[in-house]
Amino acid sequence: MQFILILIVVMGGMGLSVEAGLLGPLGGEVGELWATFSVFSVGAALTFMLMLFFSPRNSPSFFKQPSWTLLGGVLGPVYVVILTITAPVIGIAMTMIGILMGQIAKSLLIDHYGLFGTQHRQVDRKRLVALVFIIIALFLMAQG
Amino acid sequence: MTLIMIILAVIGGATLSIQAAINAQLGSKVGVFRCAFLTFSVGALITGLLIFYFEPSHAMTLLDVPKWQLLGAMCGVPYIVIMVFAVQRIGTAVATVAVIFGQLCMSMLIDNFGWFGNGIISFTPTRIGAIICLGIALYFIHASNKAAVKTEG
Repeated sequence: MQFILILIVVMGGMGLSVEAGLLGPLGGEVGELWATFSVFSVGAALTFMLMLFFSPRNSPSFFKQPSWTLLGGVLGPVYVVILTITAPVIGIAMTMIGILMGQIAKSLLIDHYGLFGTQHRQVDRKRLVALVFIIIALFLMAQG
Repeated sequence: MTLIMIILAVIGGATLSIQAAINAQLGSKVGVFRCAFLTFSVGALITGLLIFYFEPSHAMTLLDVPKWQLLGAMCGVPYIVIMVFAVQRIGTAVATVAVIFGQLCMSMLIDNFGWFGNGIISFTPTRIGAIICLGIALYFIHASNKAAVKTEG
């Protein structure tokens, strides 16, 4: 059971790369913003239906939440536009490693200072070592 | 040029992890699907506004390209649903490592064969070396997460 779940998650990750692979050429043809718009409008339509049918009925309104917690949607387009611009120039693999490095570096900062209401967690040496290896990987990618 | 693009990709990853942290807060209060819907609809609104004011006109529109090129979102939404489903059962650390593994294998394949109309970037010893470094990095992330869970529990 565990193994099947892990396989499904691996396929989810593959889906992310396929998305990046599809977006690059699409952005070249119709423009980066249109390509981004296609992802978000289809995504909004799909998640609206998921929300309609599968969301708990009595969950609290968006308007009762502190407004900064609603900012996630503002950051999404930044990521997708960048994906569309960079993937055709440096390739999918290097784009993914760059994104990974940004993710890990930033999540180190978020954890270390407990930003955005997450739990405060001291950065340990293992994560720093991981970051160093990712930087080496990026460097190797740029060489090859 | 390549360096600027790599820096851009790193910035993209940083915004992604900020988004994940903020969405985790929201998702725990209003539910995962509502949170995902908000993310996608606000994203669509913003890109719509940007297109309206800044996008130059192109010879091709979204309706002219082959339909398979529009399947990107169909690959992104399952990811969110899979993660919600799987994280509760196998834990965040394993799920994260598995996702990255899938991402990397697939992106190497796409680059190597030039699938979906992307440029071909073949396997080279240095690219394989990069994967090995990444594998080591993933191991350390996994080890660090395991240690963190132990100290919390």
